[in-house]
Amino acid sequence: MTAQDNQSGNPALFTPMLYVGAAIAIIAFVFSGFMLMTQGHAAFNMDANVAWGLPISTYVYFALMSSGLTLLAALAMVFGFKQYYPLVKRAIWLAIITLVAGLAVLAMEIGHTFRMLWAIPLNLQVESAMFWMGVFYLADLIFLLWKFQRMERGDWSSKLSRQVGIAGFIAVVLAAGTLALVFGMMSMRPFWYDPTLPVWFYATAALTGVAGLVFFTYLSYGMNTERMPKALRMDMEGPLPRLFLILLFITLVMFLARLTTGLYANATEVNVVWADYLLASGWFHLGVWGGILLPFVLLLARGLRQSPAIQMLAAVLVLVGMFIERLYFVVGGQVVPLFKGTWERDLVAYVPSPTEWVLTVMGIALVFALYALGERLFNLSDMPQAEPGEAEAEPEATAEARS
Amino acid sequence: MAKWGMVIDLDKCTGCQACTTACDMENDTLPGESWQDVLYYTEGEYPSGQMKWLPRPCMQCEDPSCVHVCPTRATYKDHDAGGIVFIDWDKCIGCKYCMIACPYGVRFFADEKPLVEPDLKEVFAGSGGQLWDPPGQSPDTDYRRGIGVQPKGVVSKCTFCYHRVKEAPEGVPDLDEDDPELVDYVPACVRTCPPKARFFGDLDNPASNVNKLIGNKNGIRLKDHTGNRPQVYYLGAGAGIPAFQPKS
Ligand code: SF4
Ligand code: SF4
Repeated sequence: MTAQDNQSGNPALFTPMLYVGAAIAIIAFVFSGFMLMTQGHAAFNMDANVAWGLPISTYVYFALMSSGLTLLAALAMVFGFKQYYPLVKRAIWLAIITLVAGLAVLAMEIGHTFRMLWAIPLNLQVESAMFWMGVFYLADLIFLLWKFQRMERGDWSSKLSRQVGIAGFIAVVLAAGTLALVFGMMSMRPFWYDPTLPVWFYATAALTGVAGLVFFTYLSYGMNTERMPKALRMDMEGPLPRLFLILLFITLVMFLARLTTGLYANATEVNVVWADYLLASGWFHLGVWGGILLPFVLLLARGLRQSPAIQMLAAVLVLVGMFIERLYFVVGGQVVPLFKGTWERDLVAYVPSPTEWVLTVMGIALVFALYALGERLFNLSDMPQAEPGEAEAEPEATAEARS
Repeated sequence: MAKWGMVIDLDKCTGCQACTTACDMENDTLPGESWQDVLYYTEGEYPSGQMKWLPRPCMQCEDPSCVHVCPTRATYKDHDAGGIVFIDWDKCIGCKYCMIACPYGVRFFADEKPLVEPDLKEVFAGSGGQLWDPPGQSPDTDYRRGIGVQPKGVVSKCTFCYHRVKEAPEGVPDLDEDDPELVDYVPACVRTCPPKARFFGDLDNPASNVNKLIGNKNGIRLKDHTGNRPQVYYLGAGAGIPAFQPKS
């Protein structure tokens, strides 16, 4: 099957999406590049207090969405839940492009992007979590591309293809976990300091990954499940929304635990951040209640859960809500001024600059453009042809997942 | 090799900021991006409120968290240079992880919105990659140690005035500005301090005055719970930092 006879590769949608997305990404790139050349990093609102702002939280958002998509694909590729196969190829493509978008935003943020390319590999600072994050995300990207290439060739389950899938899974677990530890190991930043932070990152990564997959799958089929291949339609009606609900539940429970601990703690760097920064912001409330609780409630009832419109709504709520949460998480670790005395008498005020927002728009536009490109070039709904003997295994696996 | 340390006596410090000014001049830092600053704190409330202050250079920590996190080894602790923590400006990629990881908030990206108007980066526009071309720029430049006018896209911090200290004769226990033989090698902040509240010497030399001061006058390290073990010690009854309280 080629992209042409695959109903999802709708040229009426994806050709304009490709060009418009690419145009926006290029304009955003040129604009932010121009601002950086003329104003330097003064084009950003970061300072000695808030050293990491919106571009970093955007990177974290995309990198984790990519990781979540890979974790989702691993359900079929590594753990043998075959009913997820119809989602795998699209998930891997989305994982590639969201990681690329995240890295593109990161590259525009740091002081010396090109120097990074030699200074990190040549100096091998193995003590730095950031070093390992780079190593693991690079490995992750390579395995994702390799796996996608195998799938493109119709090789879903040769020994090599399976091994690449497993290697990719290991890389992504290490990558997302290390990204969490970049924050979680900072004992001088008590709001972040948390040995279980990787678990929170895995859960929310998987949540945003599923939301991204729901969003883009429905986009590809114009919200019409009738046009989907049967196996994909079955996924969109059963296992995927159920997984979505479970992940929302896990995220909600973990969030409430974080919230309770944060508010209960006497330590100012934790308590003040929760009470006077996060909960004092309407945006944060919108992000977590609108982006976690509301979609959870929406998907609770089975009838609603199967509705494409409700799934799409829940996906959009999660994608927006978690974007807000990531920003507040990254900035929250820095709003209590560190060793500044009365030079900073209050919580540090930080609002992203227009250039920072443009970088975020660049990342989003890049994802849309590359997704459209993927839809034009590949059949993202492709899946392995059932092999002899698998016909029996299938219902069993499905039953397992449903139980 | 010596292990350079600083002792700051808060019972003598008047909070005059002469050290900060001397440091800014010596190292050509931009206004507000002071490698050495005096921090003021209020502690408690009426009728027992206190006003406190403490000068804050880089602590040149013995176990520096900034070094551990730096992905390029641009930040490094040089035991052959008295244990001073340097930033190699040719290696720094400006990721700012060190600014996140330093518990003492003593690192500066400076390539940012001006803290003080007018923006001297515009008034004295920088050439050759420098953030600015200060009038009367100091002659000392050593990018491998983060000495000179800060270039764009990298992080900077206090170097204990290594460009001065490195010229000191081998084996001296202390660099005392009252000694005419040594005065030129003393860090700018120590040399300038009007009430002589700052002392600089070799923490590895049992005969050094800094060791005696720490031992005899209850020297403490600030935020010692972080485990960074500063090479800067504070004396005096006011040494300590109140917990953060948002302005209500
Ligand atoms: S005070 Fe900060 S910058 Fe200086 S050595 Fe310690 S951790 Fe590094
Ligand atoms: S900003 Fe420079 S010195 Fe600091 S951690 Fe990054 S590369 Fe190292």
